[in-house]
Amino acid sequence: MEPIIRLKNVVKNYGEKKVLKGITLDIYPGQVIGYIGPNGAGKSTTVKILCGLISDYEGEVWVEGKDLKQDPLSVKRKIGYVPELAELYDVLTPAEFLGFMADLYEIPKDVADERIRKMLTAFGLDANMNQRMDTFSKGMRQKVLIISGLLHNPDIIILDEPLSGLDANSVIIVKDLISKLAKDGKTIFYCSHMMDVVEKVSDRIVLINDGVVLADGSFIELQSQQGNQSLEKIFAHMTAKESLSDAADQMMSAFDN
Amino acid sequence: MNLVNRFFLWLVLLPAQLYEKMGINTHQLRAVLNTKLLIDDRRPNTFHQTQQKKKKKPISFATLGTMLVTGFMGCFFVFSFFVGQDMITHLTIFFSFFLFVLASTLIADFTSVLIDIRDNVIILPKPISDKTFVLARLLHVLIHISKLVFPMALPSLIFVGINQGVLKLLPFILLIALATLFTIFLINALYILILKLTTPDRFKTIISYFQIIFAIAFYGGYQIVPRLINKVAMEQYDIRTNFWAWLAPPYWFAGAWQFLTSFEITIPLISSLILSIVVPIASIYIVIKYFAPSFNQKLSMISGSESGPAPQADVDGKKVNSNSGYLSLLTNLFSEKGAETMSFQNVWKITARSRDYKMKVYPSLGYLVVYLVMMFLNNKNFSLADVQNQTGRGKIIFISLIYFSSLILIMSVNQLLYSEKYKAAWIYFTTPIEKPGKIISGAIKSMIAKFFLPIVAVTFIAATWIVGPKIIPNLLLGIFNELLIIFTIAFLSFREFPFAQVPNQAAKSNFIRGLVSMIVPVTIGGLHYLIYNFMPVVIILAILSGGAAWMVMDAIKNKTWEVLKLEYKD
Repeated sequence: MEPIIRLKNVVKNYGEKKVLKGITLDIYPGQVIGYIGPNGAGKSTTVKILCGLISDYEGEVWVEGKDLKQDPLSVKRKIGYVPELAELYDVLTPAEFLGFMADLYEIPKDVADERIRKMLTAFGLDANMNQRMDTFSKGMRQKVLIISGLLHNPDIIILDEPLSGLDANSVIIVKDLISKLAKDGKTIFYCSHMMDVVEKVSDRIVLINDGVVLADGSFIELQSQQGNQSLEKIFAHMTAKESLSDAADQMMSAFDN
Repeated sequence: MNLVNRFFLWLVLLPAQLYEKMGINTHQLRAVLNTKLLIDDRRPNTFHQTQQKKKKKPISFATLGTMLVTGFMGCFFVFSFFVGQDMITHLTIFFSFFLFVLASTLIADFTSVLIDIRDNVIILPKPISDKTFVLARLLHVLIHISKLVFPMALPSLIFVGINQGVLKLLPFILLIALATLFTIFLINALYILILKLTTPDRFKTIISYFQIIFAIAFYGGYQIVPRLINKVAMEQYDIRTNFWAWLAPPYWFAGAWQFLTSFEITIPLISSLILSIVVPIASIYIVIKYFAPSFNQKLSMISGSESGPAPQADVDGKKVNSNSGYLSLLTNLFSEKGAETMSFQNVWKITARSRDYKMKVYPSLGYLVVYLVMMFLNNKNFSLADVQNQTGRGKIIFISLIYFSSLILIMSVNQLLYSEKYKAAWIYFTTPIEKPGKIISGAIKSMIAKFFLPIVAVTFIAATWIVGPKIIPNLLLGIFNELLIIFTIAFLSFREFPFAQVPNQAAKSNFIRGLVSMIVPVTIGGLHYLIYNFMPVVIILAILSGGAAWMVMDAIKNKTWEVLKLEYKD
């Protein structure tokens, strides 16, 4: 099978600092990739390159057989992006904001309106459809952002910490949604710090640290390499420089004086 | 979406077919512009920011409001047609106003309206071509500027149309367009310069300093300039007698108008015409050709710096803080250990670093300085000897100088209540603070040390040096009175933790408070003037006033949770 996303030796520097030191990944349709790594590992940078936010990288990125540098527009049409921070024009209403998103993807207006209404209703936001978002809670904004990433029915969905601010019930909906989207043949690129969620939703885990891929495989494969323990433990084992329980001990010993 | 925006949208989309031919997606173009204009309409603008509106009512039709205010400002421009006898002088002054006001408005808007960092995350991942997005940005800038320029120029256009005939309006309109281009160039050049000189992190701070300076200069200009020139001289004034006028672009625009309406072929007029056409067009060419590419790159750095790699840890573990020694000295001198010290230092640092606070307080401080300068200008035959000999006028100057500084203090303390980050005040509610009054007294002492102490020190040294030690009792009375005033005002009205209030409170109570704060020092200053020469009275009053100030401060410090009835605003 042809990979739907192909990263080949992708390098990105911020001035002197090397953020990505050659990431190579082949991702196949229908996979749910759990993309994990400690803060500053290069997760967000990878996501931003894939979404076309950062264009001055070295190496190659192919999406559905198209070079991201050559043909960014058709790549962007295939991708739905849910950013991490609740970045949206909050003086607009969800209907206006999502309508704008639909316009940018050139979805016909009647299709878009119907879809926006249905999706907002599914998240229980139908009553807030025409209220300005500056009064919305973090969770409500996050729901609007998730909808904005799914609206154009993309083949690839990139989720950057999509559960932040959501209440427990909405978390269940989103997790359920992810597995249904994957079953539908969508490829999902899931970035998160919540190891227990990643462990459950993803069928392939890519662990990066310091700009390089440390581990790549299903959770079972990781367990067979690293010992039969939780993803959280595996993560800590592979990325922490010093023992984490030492850190906690140090914290406790600070009370001594 | 209001009528004005709809009109502009229709207007800029007229050449849609041409855009299509250039490879631009007009559907997306319309979508971006439509959304941007909608957002503009709901955004508090430069004028709202200083006005402090109630938060509950959502802002709509901001565009119309801005245009009305701009139109009102435009009415002032008509005054330039009453200076001097000839059109070149009139128009030079008109274009000076125009360039200055437009530039100072745009400099603020460029960061808040035209460069929306959220665009990077929201629009760039969408399948929209660079060309389309750049055109959308350009057209948005164009619409935004038109909405400022039209109402600004309209009153003067009407005036010239009535007095000079409609035919002479055409060159005037053309020149206004050229002057606008030139202003855009100036703003761009300034932005490039700032970005060259500093890091993008500090960019917004520096822009806000520019806004403060502009606001003060603007106010100062309106206050001082008419007083400097006397009326007869103003009516006789002829700019053409000054050779330096050639350095000022408004002079070229005025000359160009003269040429275009009279076709007098003289060297100065033709040079004006050439300069006023070539310079704006050439400068815009430079902006597009050389500035714009690096500009966009730099701007993405502004946003990039927020999401870029985390700041590196300081290698040598040294924190750069130049005044920490001074601060700790002041802290030890003025505040009690514990809650008061905490509040003293906290307020000191926040007032020094918060852009929000500086934007609110520094312009007012600037206005006060302008007042002060005006006061001296009005006293034309004032001399140092007056102060030295303590004549009537000398006394007035001295007393107004002392009591004037209390206005600065009152202003800085009043603004301490408000902050965008008012929720951070949870720290005062969750920590075991025995007497919340100590937080308030610490905050006020901090402001005294910051704004009052330097002024007092300078006044004290200067006055003792000029007049001699005999002025010390009066100095002390003045200083103690001011402390008493500020502590009393704080005792009565400062009933919240610092930076714990939502900034958009009703403006009314602020206005009344401001008025009272003005009247009290002025009245006490007047009373001080009356007893100025009765030394024993002055000495006794100084002691009483000092004691009273001490007691009121102590009363603030001892305010309890029960008295203050503080509530966390969520």
